[in-house]
Amino acid sequence: MEPIVEHSGGVIGASWLMIAFPLASAAILLLGGRRTNAWGHLLGVFAPVASFVVAVMCFLQPSGRYDVGLYDFIPGVAKVGLLIDPLSITFALLITGVGSLIHIYSIGYMAHDPERRRFFAYLNLFVAAMLLLVLADNYLVLFLGWEGVGLASYLLIGFWQFKPTAATAAKKAFVVNRVGDFGFLVGLFTIFATFGTFAFGPVFDNAAKASNGTLTAIGIMLLIGACGKSAQLPLQSWLLDAMEGPTPVSALIHAATMVTAGVYLVVRSGAAFFPEGATASLIVTIVGVATLLAGAIIGTAKDDIKKALAGSTMSQIGYMMLAAGLGPAGYAFAIAHLLTHGFFKADLFLGAGSVMHAMKDEVNMRRYGALRALMPVTFITFFIGYLAIIGFPLLSGYFTKDGIIETAMDSNAILGWLAVIGAGITGFYMSRVVFMTFFGSKRWADDVHPHESPSVMTWPLIILSIGSIFLGGYLILSNRLMVYLGPAVGLPEALPQFHPFSPTGLATLALVALGAAIAWVRYGSAEVPQVAPRGSFLTTFARRDLYGDALNEALLMRPGQWLTRLAVWFDNKGVDGVVNGLAAGIGGSSGRLRRIQTGFVRSYALSIFVGAAVLVGAWYVVGNL
Amino acid sequence: MGETFVFWVLAVVSVIAALGLVFSRKAVYSALMLGVVMLSLAVLYAVQDAPFLAVVQIIVYTGAVMMLFLFVLMMVGVDSSDSLVETIKGQRFWAVLAGLGFAVLLALGIGNAFIGPAKGLAAYPQNVPSLAELIFTRHVFAFEVTSALLITAALGAVVLAHRERLTPKLTQRDLARQRFKEFARTGRNPAPLPGPGTYARHNAIDKPALLPDGSIAAQSVNRYVARYEKAEGTLPPEVAQALESDSEALELEKE
Amino acid sequence: MTDTITAPTIEYLLLSPLLVVFGAAIVGVLVEAFAPRYLRAAFQVPLTLLSLVAAFALVIFVVVKDGVPNKAAAMGAVAADGPALFIWGTILLLAFVSVLLIGDDFVPSAVAVPGSVEEERAVSEGAAHTEVYPLVLFAVGGMLLFAASNDLLVMFVALEVMSLPLYMLCGLARRRRLLSQEAAMKYFLLGAFSSAFFLYGTALLYGYAGSIDLSKISTSLSSVGGQDSLLFIGAAVLGVGLFFKIGAVPFQMWKPDVYQGAPTPITALMASGTLVAAFGALLRVFWVALGNLEWDWSPVVWAVAILTMVVGAILAITQTDIKRMLAYSSIAHAGFILTAVVATAGAKQNSLALSGILFYLVAYGLTTVGAFGVVTMVRDPGGEAWHLSRWAGLGKRSPKLAMVLAFFLLAMAGIPLTSGFFAKYAVFSAAVSGGAVALVVVGVVASAIAAFFYVRVIVLMFFSDPAADGPSIVMPIATRGVVGFAALATVVLGVFPQPVLDLASKAAQSLFVR
Repeated sequence: MEPIVEHSGGVIGASWLMIAFPLASAAILLLGGRRTNAWGHLLGVFAPVASFVVAVMCFLQPSGRYDVGLYDFIPGVAKVGLLIDPLSITFALLITGVGSLIHIYSIGYMAHDPERRRFFAYLNLFVAAMLLLVLADNYLVLFLGWEGVGLASYLLIGFWQFKPTAATAAKKAFVVNRVGDFGFLVGLFTIFATFGTFAFGPVFDNAAKASNGTLTAIGIMLLIGACGKSAQLPLQSWLLDAMEGPTPVSALIHAATMVTAGVYLVVRSGAAFFPEGATASLIVTIVGVATLLAGAIIGTAKDDIKKALAGSTMSQIGYMMLAAGLGPAGYAFAIAHLLTHGFFKADLFLGAGSVMHAMKDEVNMRRYGALRALMPVTFITFFIGYLAIIGFPLLSGYFTKDGIIETAMDSNAILGWLAVIGAGITGFYMSRVVFMTFFGSKRWADDVHPHESPSVMTWPLIILSIGSIFLGGYLILSNRLMVYLGPAVGLPEALPQFHPFSPTGLATLALVALGAAIAWVRYGSAEVPQVAPRGSFLTTFARRDLYGDALNEALLMRPGQWLTRLAVWFDNKGVDGVVNGLAAGIGGSSGRLRRIQTGFVRSYALSIFVGAAVLVGAWYVVGNL
Repeated sequence: MGETFVFWVLAVVSVIAALGLVFSRKAVYSALMLGVVMLSLAVLYAVQDAPFLAVVQIIVYTGAVMMLFLFVLMMVGVDSSDSLVETIKGQRFWAVLAGLGFAVLLALGIGNAFIGPAKGLAAYPQNVPSLAELIFTRHVFAFEVTSALLITAALGAVVLAHRERLTPKLTQRDLARQRFKEFARTGRNPAPLPGPGTYARHNAIDKPALLPDGSIAAQSVNRYVARYEKAEGTLPPEVAQALESDSEALELEKE
Repeated sequence: MTDTITAPTIEYLLLSPLLVVFGAAIVGVLVEAFAPRYLRAAFQVPLTLLSLVAAFALVIFVVVKDGVPNKAAAMGAVAADGPALFIWGTILLLAFVSVLLIGDDFVPSAVAVPGSVEEERAVSEGAAHTEVYPLVLFAVGGMLLFAASNDLLVMFVALEVMSLPLYMLCGLARRRRLLSQEAAMKYFLLGAFSSAFFLYGTALLYGYAGSIDLSKISTSLSSVGGQDSLLFIGAAVLGVGLFFKIGAVPFQMWKPDVYQGAPTPITALMASGTLVAAFGALLRVFWVALGNLEWDWSPVVWAVAILTMVVGAILAITQTDIKRMLAYSSIAHAGFILTAVVATAGAKQNSLALSGILFYLVAYGLTTVGAFGVVTMVRDPGGEAWHLSRWAGLGKRSPKLAMVLAFFLLAMAGIPLTSGFFAKYAVFSAAVSGGAVALVVVGVVASAIAAFFYVRVIVLMFFSDPAADGPSIVMPIATRGVVGFAALATVVLGVFPQPVLDLASKAAQSLFVR
């Protein structure tokens, strides 16, 4: 890893503009009110595009690790500054690039929503917070962005707050994220207590001096934070409900950008708190594998197209987490997969949104079918995204997911095989989505007239699908991304070689093909019933999100409620008694003291006089001591 | 020795006068007592080689400020007095306590201090030119800024007391017209009150005019004086009788 | 003794901000004398604002031209040093925004008896006391001089120049006139009382040191012996006069009554500008004149600071008039600032504490002007809606205004990301490094109590139902600008305090001129 150098001026010095554009736009749109309705969405689109331009300009500068100090927030304790290095620029490009496409798409998608301006304000707020998160040069500012993302996501999930389910989902996302944030905060305090600073540079430099136990503790605490934001087990439950937000758009945020924050945190802190072979890293990989399997299994049983895709998001983030726990060899693959996933998942979600747009907001795939002829652009782009995600040879996902599986296999065979199985399941459930939506017979009601979406919605799809085809190969072949990220996250001892047909790769492909074939038999060639059959125990298990909510309820909510009741009881009897007593005491003394203020000037003068006498006396006594 | 003698005499005089100033019930007495205090101080200044201060004290304070006080007292009325009943619980007690405490502290503190011989005057042999030099060099800024204070005071007096004329001023003609209209309506005498007249034996303000038959002209009774004398119980019975017989005068009294 | 007097040297450039303000005030008086009534306001308002801007520009010019000066100007009467210039800039800024708040708050004819026919006629004639503008300028000039006076005589004159116009202005409220006149009378009597203390202290200190120069008093502390009691009593009595001006307990009684009765723009000026000036003077007396005596005065100031914080915070709780509540809050804030006044030890620590105080004064001054600006906007038929119950549900009636006020209140409570947080942080951290940990503990407890009544108003505004006949919102453009500016400053100083902190520490670096 390269050392971080102070930098100011030039293009890098102006990198704060990336955050300033969307933040200013959000402020204008929120404060401007209805006056900005007419042009609000244009400003809202301009901001991330401008940020994207700045990000590209930073990207074109000579590579290095630059610390751009903005100002001392609390002198000596907290500085506000940006860290511009390959890792943060990569993220900034993803966020502003894919973010801009989301914004453009939203012009069309939200065209008929009276609150479109507010929606764009929240989107801009989200982009600004996310950029602050990835560009921060210390944990405190990162946390600020982290909370900002949480807030924006809460606002976006609950955007249609008139729907009770949306309001509940927003609250759920917020609460679950708070659990993660709490872990993160404890980690943050521990970091400050250990190193006396929040800044990345000194923390990473001095990490080796801290005790192993401390490092592990910090690592686990940060991981809890990451689990919350990235919907990893056991804090995954909010992601599926988050699909209640305005359809593809907020869902996209929860697929391509926001949920990657946890991966970013782990990779960023990797060298210090998640070194190869450490306990914390092992836990990261276990969490990753468990989530990738759980997400995949949930995805197999969902009939709601967005929830199926949400399951797949969980699963893919699980892959990234797995890779992030594998040290420098895995970082590049984690980030590469994150980037390609950003493209193809955005592609898939936007495609799903396009389908829903055409189907009068119907989300149940059992009421789709045979849409490929009616919506050719959506179908083709969706299909490309599908091929990319299942790892069809030479498409993006093939390179990046294969890289993760190979690295996992090298590190630990059990992890590797579980990841391969996960890939097979992915092949099954993604094929299921495609077959149920675009193939088979028409199952929709007569009053629905599917049609292709307007071009403002299809163009982002086309751009994203092109990325889904080529990006993976570009990043992985000749280790481009790994070398580029090297200065920021470190390089493995030996650069991996890409083997087109390694045994692991062949096994993966075989399993994926098997999964796709089963899906074809069940959902492609056979007739899909419009009402879901009862299914086996396993199906129910998957449909219920692996009883995640039931588990939460039994393990956390019920005891939590009891604990709350106990706490309330104790609070009422004990704490409140004291607090109320104190408050009453203060209020009472206020009332009594108030009576001294009679309103008569002679009484005031007397009080001044008495005060003066006491003051003189006191001074006299103190002075003569 | 002479200075000490003068000090002890004037100290007693001025303290007694100051106490009289505070405790006197009549405002005019208080004002006069204040004059005594100021004059005593002026003499003390003079004895202590400060002729300028002494003269200024007499001219400005005794001459100008005191006179202003008296003018104000005359205009507001000498008989207006405040209620001296204390309504706040403990006010007197604490005031006395704090006053005594403060006095004891000061006496202790300043009494304990070792005061060296006077200094400063040796460097400035002549009082007035030295003062002039100080005022126009070292303290010139304070001296100039004081003008802001004076302007503020004048401006403040204007704001608080000046009545901006909102209606046109009444001329003699208007006033005469008004008086006669009043006369037509109520029968009130439009003419000024009569003077002592030919038959009066005194021309003092409190003596009413006499009519040719020797009786009192009720209209000529000065009602302010009459009211005062009535309150004091010194209103001559014949005047009272004359007032009672004259309904118009009674009405006037009611005003 | 020579027969000739050498002419005094006056540093006109250094004193130019002062001179501009006083000059404009005198021009304003001339306008009153010669301009016809209908033209006066058209002259006075631009004259006042322009002179304040010009004075502010001159402060900057002085610093830019020759760097931060550090000398006693005008034959040693006026201290021109970093803190003085910083305080000048602060006072001028606060005065500017306070003057912008002046709208229809002043009585049309002060001489008319409240509620009389004459008053009604004056109202219908559209009469107005445009004298308030020169009076405000005189008061501002006094504030500038008060904070920069280098000897006790100038300080006393400045005290009077500052106070006398304020006594006047307090009694000129258009509504609730009897309350206003009562407030003016009380302020005048008590102010005169405290001035007497100040003067007596000056006399005693002169008796002790043989000089009224702050720096000479300081040097005589080590050379004069045997008169310590004179010094102690003199300093204490002088302190009474200064504590009265900042409203420290037990000399705070006047503050709620006067703040409540005065026209709200004047209240804003007093709560911001006077407080700043009084702290400037207080620091000069305690740090320069009595600088080597801190072992003697710091226990006393400790006690005063504790009393001020606690009494201010506790008494604010039971207030029902928003202006009275803000007055008590201002008392509590004076206590918070006092915690840094006692945090002296060595030049470095002193400049740390001083920069904290300066930052606090800017931040608090702007926030409090903004809060009073909001108070002027919420109107009942009979004037400002002063009773807190009238503010219930304002969040529903006028969400933006309520949010802005809530923001000001949070800033006063010291919530992070507002200027109040950094202000408190600056003075408390200075106090901690100065060894006054116990004082800071009391300060934090008092802040917690204070947060209660700030939050209570917020709860009242946002979580109560508005009354059917609730107050209406009047938003003159200037007031809106002032409130917006204050809100912006509160945000910027809360998120990005560095430039002002730097400026304050630069101003505080050389400390006071000696």
